[in-house]
Amino acid sequence: MARPHIEPFCDRDSHFKPMRLIGFGSGMHYKMLSMDVDTGACSMTVQFDNGYKRTPGFSWSEYELIVIEGELKVGDRVCRKGHYFYVPAGYALPEISSDQGCLVLYMYNTGEPSHEEATEHHSSAQTQLYHNVDSYMDIPWAMGNVAKPSVAAGCMIKLLNYNPNSFAMTFLYCMTPNFYQDNISYHDCAEESYHLWGTSWMMQFGDVPTGGYFWRPAYINHGAFASEYGCIALGRVDSKLFNHFHYNPWSTPVENADRSEARLMARDPLLYHWAFSKDHNHPHSPKDFEVLMPRRGEEAGHDNEHKSDGHRHDHWHGHHHHDEHSPHTHDHHHDH
Amino acid sequence: MTFKNLYIEHERSAEAEEWVKGEVTEQEARFAKIEASMEALAPTREKWYQEFFDRICTNGFNVDGDDKMRIPESDLPSKPQNRRDQVVWKYGVDSDDTPRNGQGD
Repeated sequence: MARPHIEPFCDRDSHFKPMRLIGFGSGMHYKMLSMDVDTGACSMTVQFDNGYKRTPGFSWSEYELIVIEGELKVGDRVCRKGHYFYVPAGYALPEISSDQGCLVLYMYNTGEPSHEEATEHHSSAQTQLYHNVDSYMDIPWAMGNVAKPSVAAGCMIKLLNYNPNSFAMTFLYCMTPNFYQDNISYHDCAEESYHLWGTSWMMQFGDVPTGGYFWRPAYINHGAFASEYGCIALGRVDSKLFNHFHYNPWSTPVENADRSEARLMARDPLLYHWAFSKDHNHPHSPKDFEVLMPRRGEEAGHDNEHKSDGHRHDHWHGHHHHDEHSPHTHDHHHDH
Repeated sequence: MTFKNLYIEHERSAEAEEWVKGEVTEQEARFAKIEASMEALAPTREKWYQEFFDRICTNGFNVDGDDKMRIPESDLPSKPQNRRDQVVWKYGVDSDDTPRNGQGD
């Protein structure tokens, strides 16, 4: 069932609870923002007390975090507000600690929070995906038109993480003072946001202040939008972000999804008919031949005759050039 | 959320199982509170809808970025009969309370 629609919610309206899961030690407190009822994946505002220390180790789930206030030490590195981490499942971080205490937004994406004490990565960890950045200092604001049609000028983003397969994104976004956008939007993806600072307004939900949060399943109306004094927030989408704009505040998620389907048929009719034709039904999921095709692997017996060293090429495919003036007139097999 | 969808199979401990269960229960209560507060906001929201209609007829509707189009009043949607103003949908299109086309309105 995934995560329910939590919108609007403000973490300032609830109290911190001590984290009692094994491995996190004492001095970690959290406010739950949203949770996947099946997997335990969740987003939490976390407060580390001054003097907090956690042993080196990894999580079974991938997770992301951003420092909201204070200083978090990761190994010897001091990370201040705006510092973002993407940590793959099984990736062992060094000891984390906070001398003076800090506030952090934690997002466990694929399972409940877990901490396995370890100084080495798990053998299944995709360590190459790990990255971190001081998003406040080291990334410039860019126009918010990452999707077309786009948000109005005055809504800008900093991209923090991107999945080239699903087009899922994690990003900071801001709205300038006096920002407004007069349309209603919905997406084909779930969307999540946490207001790091400032207040924005949406016509359905009213004000979202500092500490304001939403987890919104796909196809739910939101907007018009405004921000009187500006705001900065962390946003995430779990697949491709497309802005379906309209001005009917009474449409339902099913009507919105139907409209998306109609628009898909208008935009990609061949793909639509291929995907939905009855005699070409994929009960589980469509097959991607790139994933499934047999590959040569490491076995011996490769064709060495036609290997290129980068300087020569064999016209083994025997093409023909009939233009007399072509500097390349030949129809024979050659090496050079 | 499946950002990179990276997960390493492991057995969830009984303690973690209990923790998740407790959080899910609290989330149910949080959702109910949100739903009630959004229902209470309906009269104010109705006013916001009318102000929105007025703005898109006079200043314009944001079609793409700052490109705007004035919407003729005759094109504004009619409020569906017998459908309550609902803005919170527990599981989106998978909600039990989501009206299917022509049903449950």
